[in-house]
Amino acid sequence: MSVAELKEKHAAATETVNNLRERLKQRRQQLLDTDVAGYARSQGKSPLTFGPTDLLCCRTLQGHTGKVYSLDWTPERNRIVSASQDGRLIVWNALTSQKTHAIKLPCAWVMTCAFSPAGQSVACGGLDSMCSIFNLNSQTDRDGNLPVSKTLSGHKGYVSCCQYVPDEDIHIITSSGDQTCVLWDITTGLRTSVFGGEFQSGHTADVLSVSINGSNSRMFVSGSCDATARLWDSRVASRAVRTFHGHEGDVNTVKFFPDGNRFGTGSDDGTCRLFDIRTGHQLQVYYQQHGDNEVPHVTSIAFSISGRLLFAGYSNGDCYVWDTLLAKVVLNLGSVQNSHEGRITCLGLSADGSALCTGSSDTNLKIWAFGGHRRVI
Amino acid sequence: MGLLCSRNSRYAEADTEENAQAAEIERRIEQERKAEKHIQKLLLLGTGESGKSTIFKQIKLLFQTGFDEEELKSCISVIHANIYQTIKYAKPEKGEFAQNELDSSKYVLSVENKVIGEKLSEIGSRLDCPCLNRELAQEIETLWKGSAFQEDVLYARVRTTGVVEIQFSPVGENKKSEVYRLFDVGGQRNERRKWIHLFEDVTAVIFCAAISEYDQTLFEDEQKNQMVETKELFDWVLKQPCFEKTSFMLFLNKFDIFETKVLKVPLNVCEWFKDYQPVSTGKQEIEHAYEFVKKIFEELYFQSTTPDRVDRVFKIYRTNALDQKLVKKTFKLVDESLRRRNLFEAGLL
Repeated sequence: MSVAELKEKHAAATETVNNLRERLKQRRQQLLDTDVAGYARSQGKSPLTFGPTDLLCCRTLQGHTGKVYSLDWTPERNRIVSASQDGRLIVWNALTSQKTHAIKLPCAWVMTCAFSPAGQSVACGGLDSMCSIFNLNSQTDRDGNLPVSKTLSGHKGYVSCCQYVPDEDIHIITSSGDQTCVLWDITTGLRTSVFGGEFQSGHTADVLSVSINGSNSRMFVSGSCDATARLWDSRVASRAVRTFHGHEGDVNTVKFFPDGNRFGTGSDDGTCRLFDIRTGHQLQVYYQQHGDNEVPHVTSIAFSISGRLLFAGYSNGDCYVWDTLLAKVVLNLGSVQNSHEGRITCLGLSADGSALCTGSSDTNLKIWAFGGHRRVI
Repeated sequence: MGLLCSRNSRYAEADTEENAQAAEIERRIEQERKAEKHIQKLLLLGTGESGKSTIFKQIKLLFQTGFDEEELKSCISVIHANIYQTIKYAKPEKGEFAQNELDSSKYVLSVENKVIGEKLSEIGSRLDCPCLNRELAQEIETLWKGSAFQEDVLYARVRTTGVVEIQFSPVGENKKSEVYRLFDVGGQRNERRKWIHLFEDVTAVIFCAAISEYDQTLFEDEQKNQMVETKELFDWVLKQPCFEKTSFMLFLNKFDIFETKVLKVPLNVCEWFKDYQPVSTGKQEIEHAYEFVKKIFEELYFQSTTPDRVDRVFKIYRTNALDQKLVKKTFKLVDESLRRRNLFEAGLL
């Protein structure tokens, strides 16, 4: 078969797929009679009363000399690791706001960091296309720097996000600009599984984010520049369990909902969405019109411990707290008193859900806690 | 966690040891920041065939003074970790290469080396790497020399890096001069828009455009002209919010090829240059054609630059990446421009 004939066949096949996809979309819309907010309203759910005094900034962590790009809490003791444009990882004691470790990275272009489940190691990755592991208990060198314990190399593009598999210090999942996600065995440094890539059905553009299901750590979801989120079973690398369409721009961030049956996404199209993993339906869109200025991108999201609140950071400096049930913004952390002076670039909830940490382009991190009589939701 | 919730609580009592440790960390960060303050960062950008990697290599050959002691020491642990990682491939059953290789007999080790191989594999599989001492280093060397897969391993290593950098001083170490750190983001076949913001505080972008490519199409897409691709990339880079205050040095590269080609293939075969009319022949024509291309880039620069950015430094240089003398001269001019810019910013000019 000639090249021209192959191209024709390819074009025809693509058209068929697109038509099928369009039909699927229409069928889904027929099946969906309402969204979460619509249903909640019909059930008479009352909106949350949430004001500026309900979430208070109680700590400001200063020390980075560049923008903060990523942060992660330990699952147990209250420590935070943050990665910054200054090429450093800093480990903080969230209660005392003191720094316990500062690591000058061999490659300054870091995009992500993560704490190991036992809190003994931190991982980071970035433009060097590698994921580096640092053991916090190892001896620092003469200059006070921690040596790299392990380097996970194999990606052919930048490492955008990494997360340790819960309760497994030796397994970590990374997402990359090379369109794949990889499950690594840290002890050997080898790839256990590659999700997507050249010969497998996976994302068709850079993968920007991963989130592992807290209730079932075999499942994880990934978000990509191909405007989809994909659900994977870590034992089956050959194809995704399901692909979620809906977004109209890069999916920058994905996070599992606390109960593990749903996940949230944030995108360049300015919306956050909630998807159900069992039915594949898009349950809700979270979007607020701004006027005719450029639509701000959603850069990071996190759910409160019950899932009732969705925290979303935007590229224009806003940080909306959404009532997930009624799809209404109840607070903008970006404009409260004592908020960051720059954009909020990353955020994360502590393991017990009582505190939210935000990282900003103003080089600081801030810890917010539910104030006064407000119980943690 | 209750301590965090109460608004008026004091911070939890940190013990004095923790305080001392934190103070030490802060002191070190400040020290490192001071040491890095004077380093000017430069980012090389350009399309696949622009010759930017050749420029990178030339600058490395011309100016590199080597890394200072601090950086060398910080690299040692990375090198150690890499050595252990690499050498663990000596175990054929576990190594990735053996799985893919049909003729795995290539990887079978001699009996003596097998013992060393086992020992090193064990080390490599631990999370912490012991320091590399002379004895271990010698054992690694023995194994390395006896192996048949050096090429594969080397190739694998080269493939993994995403960013290369060199630190250098164009005038020489003795004189107090600018120190530059040049970055080349190579081998990334992905979305630039997702990582370009990382380079927000670079002093200057060195954009390489191969002007000899006006009649060539892309390897990946036969419909797309390489010159047009370069134009689109340049336009995109100029408009990035992260480069609002960044100086731009445009290298119009591959002039040597341009020289010979322009007399045989008219410039106007490229749609971006369709308004070009040749005026003469020989050297005059070459100069005329070059000036036309230069002007087109200048126009593009001003079209893509909003009023609030007109203060940016913008300079164009004619280069041929393979001509070492020319690269050296060009870079010295770049250095001059940037130093003048620094003085201007500091209010001294």
